[in-house]
Amino acid sequence: MTALIVVVVVVVVVAMIVVGIYNRLVALKNRYENGFAQIEVQLKRRHDLIPSLVETVKGYMAHERETLEAVIDARNQAASGLSDAAGDPSNPDAMKKLGAAEGVLGGAMGRLLALSEAYPDLKASQNMQQLTEELTSTENKVSFARQAFNDAVTAYNTYRQSVPAVLFAATFGHATDASLLEFDSQAIAEPPKISFS
Amino acid sequence: MSTQFFENQEAARRETSRLVFLFGCAVVGIVGLLYGLALFLSNLQKTDAYGRVAAMPIEYWQPELLFQVVLATFAVVAGGSLYKTLQLRGGGAVVAESLGGQLIATDTNDPEARKVLNVVEEMAIASGTPTPPVYLLANEDGINAFAAGFTPSDAVIGITRGTIQRLNRDELQGVIAHEFSHILSGDMRLNIRLMGTIHGILLIGIIGYFLLRSSMFAGGRRGGRDNSGAAIVMAGFGLMIVGFMGTFFGNLIKASVSRQREFLADASAVQFTRNPDGIAGALKKIAGLDEGSILVSPSAPQASHLFFSKGLSGGLQSMFATHPPLAERIRRLDPSFDVSVLTSAGTSQTESAGAAGFAGTSGAGSHTGLPAAPSGPAIEQVGEPTAAHLEYAAQLLASLPSAVVTACHEPYGARAVLYALLINRDADARRRQLDQLENFGEAGIADETRRLLRDTERLDSHVRLPLVDIALPALRNLSQPQYAAFETNVQVLIEADKRIDLFEWTLQRILFTHLRPHFDRTASRVRRNLRLSKLTAECEVVLSVLARFGAAGDAAAQKSFDQGAGALPDLSLELLPKNRSGLTALDDALSRLARVESRVALQLLSACAAAVASDGFVSEAQGEMMRAIADTLGAPMPPLLPGQRLF
Repeated sequence: MTALIVVVVVVVVVAMIVVGIYNRLVALKNRYENGFAQIEVQLKRRHDLIPSLVETVKGYMAHERETLEAVIDARNQAASGLSDAAGDPSNPDAMKKLGAAEGVLGGAMGRLLALSEAYPDLKASQNMQQLTEELTSTENKVSFARQAFNDAVTAYNTYRQSVPAVLFAATFGHATDASLLEFDSQAIAEPPKISFS
Repeated sequence: MSTQFFENQEAARRETSRLVFLFGCAVVGIVGLLYGLALFLSNLQKTDAYGRVAAMPIEYWQPELLFQVVLATFAVVAGGSLYKTLQLRGGGAVVAESLGGQLIATDTNDPEARKVLNVVEEMAIASGTPTPPVYLLANEDGINAFAAGFTPSDAVIGITRGTIQRLNRDELQGVIAHEFSHILSGDMRLNIRLMGTIHGILLIGIIGYFLLRSSMFAGGRRGGRDNSGAAIVMAGFGLMIVGFMGTFFGNLIKASVSRQREFLADASAVQFTRNPDGIAGALKKIAGLDEGSILVSPSAPQASHLFFSKGLSGGLQSMFATHPPLAERIRRLDPSFDVSVLTSAGTSQTESAGAAGFAGTSGAGSHTGLPAAPSGPAIEQVGEPTAAHLEYAAQLLASLPSAVVTACHEPYGARAVLYALLINRDADARRRQLDQLENFGEAGIADETRRLLRDTERLDSHVRLPLVDIALPALRNLSQPQYAAFETNVQVLIEADKRIDLFEWTLQRILFTHLRPHFDRTASRVRRNLRLSKLTAECEVVLSVLARFGAAGDAAAQKSFDQGAGALPDLSLELLPKNRSGLTALDDALSRLARVESRVALQLLSACAAAVASDGFVSEAQGEMMRAIADTLGAPMPPLLPGQRLF
């Protein structure tokens, strides 16, 4: 009888610990997925702003069609990357692709804005000023939301890899690390070409 | 209507102790049954070599066996209920996510989701609680909603897609008000405790079930007919019966409590919105809808008690229902309603019946009805916002510059708004503050703050605290390191001018009371068990600060203090000298007062109100201070309406 009691108590305690691990994994995963929802809102806002920016710029810098097309192209790539990643924020491939696409978009935007420096009329236009202000603000919000997301992902990964969670993580469907969202900056590193035409 | 908030909480607590007593009886009964089972089994084993039962009289009194049974039962029940409580204690977010809810981003663009957030925001401002996060159950087409969480700080509201699509704004407001009533009267905590205990009893049955199964497998393999096998089968069977019976009766008790709380929440919803048609209309729509309020989520049964309306179909309707029958609920709200309509009518008919009361109002603005009735003293409305508060909240929200409100809805902007609220008017301090943001804030936050400053500086002082309430849910989305940086920045900004003014103190108090528990899981939950008589020194500090703050000279301060102390006749209190009644002292005192029994919290709050109102005039600053004190004491105080008496 005593042996039975001891066994029952031990089983209950172990079960409670395991359930606790499971719940914590789920909570951390939900937290980073919520973090991604925050990024999504801001990125969408940014993607919505870009066409109006291009529309505004078009009238002034008609010769820069290539640059404009590159921006639109990069924007579309990034938008589709975003919807892929939003479907499953735990998929590292989708996340990597989104990061790369956003990096390219950032680079193209940087070139466009650098080019626009050469057009004083454009710079003075109120519409343009408003749009750049909006874009800068959205940019800041994106980087802020991205930081929150990456923190949440790190917390999840750290917990997942540490004892005792590592013993159960794979069984509970948390086999892989979630991946951080880094915007690939190699495209930005390229110096902007400024043409004095 | 007065002071019902605490009475309701008290009633809930009395209900709990009655139930704990009932459960105690149940556990004693269970122990008795298990003891009988153990006796029977131990006797069974006393068979001789030929399998015949030894002709020995049963020894009924075996203290050692009884002790073992008691120990095992308590271990199992306590373990099971502890596990369940811990699981549910993760706060409302865990419950909402397990039901398939998605957090509605605070800066969502979806107009329907936006409408829900606005209604919730209005209700939060009207009741003086932080805005709870809202979860959307996107796959649920029925009309239903729930509130979950341990305290107002970690409460969430969940709402189905069907609710958003099918209800108009008034009905939505009724439903949300119903959920706020659950939050404000502490129903969630009561429910979690009950569920925990029932789960513990259920565990006995589950153990029995596994014993039975394992012994069947073992028995099958060995094909043996030894006694221990039979004993285990018996034990398993007995445990199963006892456990499942216990669960059955436990659920009966729980359901009956739950039904009473639903009636109370319906009544409160009417009181908050002063519009019985809103909530009655929502109930009628549920009645007229095929899906009704049924949820499809597989986790729904575990959370059935949380919902606005019955979330499950079928079952033993009347005895186990967590919600009273719809017809009965509607009848209590609208006695003239013809219940027989429910069985035959479709949505359109019931809607016309339900909408009759507000047929003239437009869909968008529901606050075009009667002017707000003059309110009673503010102190009596703790935990009980009224329609006047709701109207005030809606006007307040509409009057805020949209740039500021939008910023409050996402984590980046929300921080900038709070920084902007703290920026000093004094040029020197302002420069230091902005330098701090430039150097230690997030990228671009200083610019964002400057931009918002143009709007926030023009704001009336009475809307600054509600802005904090609106910003809270977005701030919860910060990551841990971001929150740490935010907390430091707020503190540095406050101390930049080398003094803490009242607004800064209040803001910090409200902000951190609600955010710290969210980010610091290790912080122990406040246990409210101290008597007021043990906190004499703290009461002295609070009343002294309030007295010195409002009064011009020593004599006036003494008068104000005496007024306050008069409300606490059991304590002998002395006005403290100036140097011991500063905001730092108040801070320390309040940290300890947060642990006072909620029964006497209102008494203390009344004393504070008496002290403040002694000169017949309540300044906005004093009102703010009262709000922070009430917030700390766990008594959400609705905002002071213009011209309203405090006491």
